[in-house]
Amino acid sequence: MGKVKALVVDDSKIMRSAVKRALDQLMLAEFEYVEAMDGQDALDKFDDEIEIMFVDWNMPNMTGVEFSRAIRDKGDTEHIPIIMVTAEKSMGKVDKALNEGGANEYITKPFTADKMHQTISRYFDDDGNIIGEETEEEEEKSFFSSILKS
Amino acid sequence: MIPQSLQDIHEIPVEFVDLVKESVINTFASIIGSEPSYIKPNGESKSLNGIIGNIAVFNQHHTLSLMIVIPKETALKLSEVFIGMEIPFESNDMGDLVGEISNILAGDVAANIETVGFRGQSSLPTATRGSDLTLFMPNKPPTEKMKFSGPTGDFWVNMALSESR
Repeated sequence: MGKVKALVVDDSKIMRSAVKRALDQLMLAEFEYVEAMDGQDALDKFDDEIEIMFVDWNMPNMTGVEFSRAIRDKGDTEHIPIIMVTAEKSMGKVDKALNEGGANEYITKPFTADKMHQTISRYFDDDGNIIGEETEEEEEKSFFSSILKS
Repeated sequence: MIPQSLQDIHEIPVEFVDLVKESVINTFASIIGSEPSYIKPNGESKSLNGIIGNIAVFNQHHTLSLMIVIPKETALKLSEVFIGMEIPFESNDMGDLVGEISNILAGDVAANIETVGFRGQSSLPTATRGSDLTLFMPNKPPTEKMKFSGPTGDFWVNMALSESR
């Protein structure tokens, strides 16, 4: 099983533990965790080995949406799935996280391991490696190869 | 819809109270697995050995402050349900837990009251812990006190509606 480096960002230690516990239960991969207590801390700890991120919204210093935007603005980070894990649940907030923040998925607290599985399993292959989002070029390639195969 | 000035408003509109009540029941049901019951308050006011989570949902005109008042025994049982083990009442983790529960409740309240025109965002939560705590509600803004009882014990949610400054 592959080892995946995951960044878990939440100002609540209890919630960081809950996210890690849920991920460990899912057995999608073997995780190595980097924890951050707010967006700024996460930005400081972010490096090019991070493969997936679980980010709270409402945090001091820098919110999860600001952090996600900052990561996407770095460029060459579209392949890293950003999963917002937050108590904010109005449709406007979901829309803001996905569009303005560039997050890939949105999970509301409190969450279950099942909910986490439903949301993130598509980002992992059978060997426990991150699949990541396809770039436009890759999407085009896989589109043509599927046509050729059929 | 709430008028911008609360000068002549002496009670929190009933639709707000009902939506917050619904959010409390839904939030605690999703945390503890069964719905807490609402108990009509009888005016009792005794001091508390426990912890209070404070959070607000606010916009530029109004602030809805929420205080989740949790007795020590309820807090201990909640911690067992929430993280799978009882955490010491005096620990930082207990403050963290109650702050997170307040945050989850405020997220639900914000989404719920948006349906009646109050579009706001949540503040960061804080937690106050102590023994012999008495919670005085402010005289001026309209307030509401709600009591609930569930498998993890009793708790209260007090709220106050004020103009944002």
